[in-house]
Amino acid sequence: MKLKELVYKGIVTENPVFIQLLGMCPVLAVTNTAENALGMGAATAAVLIGSNFVISLLRKFIPSKIRIPAFVVVIATFVTIVGMVMKAYLPALDAALGLFIPLIVVNCLILARAEAFASKNSVLKSVVDGVGMGLGFTIALVVLGAVRELLGAGTIFGATMTWSSFEPAGVMGLPPGAFLALGMLLALYNKIASMKLKKQ
Amino acid sequence: MREVIKLGLILLLITSVAAVVLGITNDATSVIIEQREQEEKAQALKVLIPNADEFIQIEETLFADRQDIVEAYEGLKDGVVVGYAVKVNPSGYGGDVNIIVGFTNEGITTGIIIGTHTETPGLGSKIEDEVFVNQFTDRMTDNALVSVKRSVEQDNEVQAISGATVSSDAVINGVNAAISFLREVIMNHSSGCSCCG
Repeated sequence: MKLKELVYKGIVTENPVFIQLLGMCPVLAVTNTAENALGMGAATAAVLIGSNFVISLLRKFIPSKIRIPAFVVVIATFVTIVGMVMKAYLPALDAALGLFIPLIVVNCLILARAEAFASKNSVLKSVVDGVGMGLGFTIALVVLGAVRELLGAGTIFGATMTWSSFEPAGVMGLPPGAFLALGMLLALYNKIASMKLKKQ
Repeated sequence: MREVIKLGLILLLITSVAAVVLGITNDATSVIIEQREQEEKAQALKVLIPNADEFIQIEETLFADRQDIVEAYEGLKDGVVVGYAVKVNPSGYGGDVNIIVGFTNEGITTGIIIGTHTETPGLGSKIEDEVFVNQFTDRMTDNALVSVKRSVEQDNEVQAISGATVSSDAVINGVNAAISFLREVIMNHSSGCSCCG
């Protein structure tokens, strides 16, 4: 598989959120604004790229019997590093995302990519896979966050986007709004995908 | 048996490398994190007690038996107390709400700063809005503050945010805890000394 295809696969045909529905906990929990969604997506992508790199590097060294604990140690190390760096340099974002940063450890997207891809492929391919999946995850989160922020507060990335008489639907910023927005986006994504398939 | 030892050693090796990497990162970031937190606190104290040029932490034993009080500071100018700041963490709807309350040396509030909290976005998070926060500026503190849902009539009333009564009450409770601590312990203590001594 070519590297370009790997990236395309991560963003479009195997998008971790819209197609694989992986890592739903942060997807639903921290997408109340586009900014939080971007921060969460970037943090997850950084961990994913790092863990894919190290795990593919060690794939011949780690015996299959203890691969899961080994993967989890690698992932947890990257998550902790990301957490410390965020606390030091991006305290506002760290405060907004709170508990969801350490919870990246149990994001099944990262363990899934380690198990299904990085443990079987070369370092370069694994890093590219991490970039593609990370981008796909981030884009999906930002789209969801932007939709929720627009409907829930009338802004995107904090900038007002609506006319003055617009009455924001506060529920979109709350947990039920996450399910509503995700459901609508999934329907839209599948509609577009099936239309493309018919054309072919 | 030999395989178990081998697997164990490999895991030990991986975890040791991880520990070293984490130790190095922690060394590099912990200094910055602590410095930032200190700066933020100093900035908050400066806003609440603007004419002070030195801040002294008040001993914890003075509020060890009081709920919700985390830290307290005296602000001094040329060695004379000009104000106080009390950090409180009352529980709101979604967890603790961190607030710093500022006072003049006469016990009038200079304002509050809402720190980290986990109140519901769009509802409880409105405790950060200026309209609400500004209600806590220049308050006489002879009576405890009470929350009302109508518009304010009495001096000690605070208008709660509609749809976020629990979060509003949390802030008011926190401020009241700071007020009673200030009036009953700190100011009583110092004035007591100057009168009787």
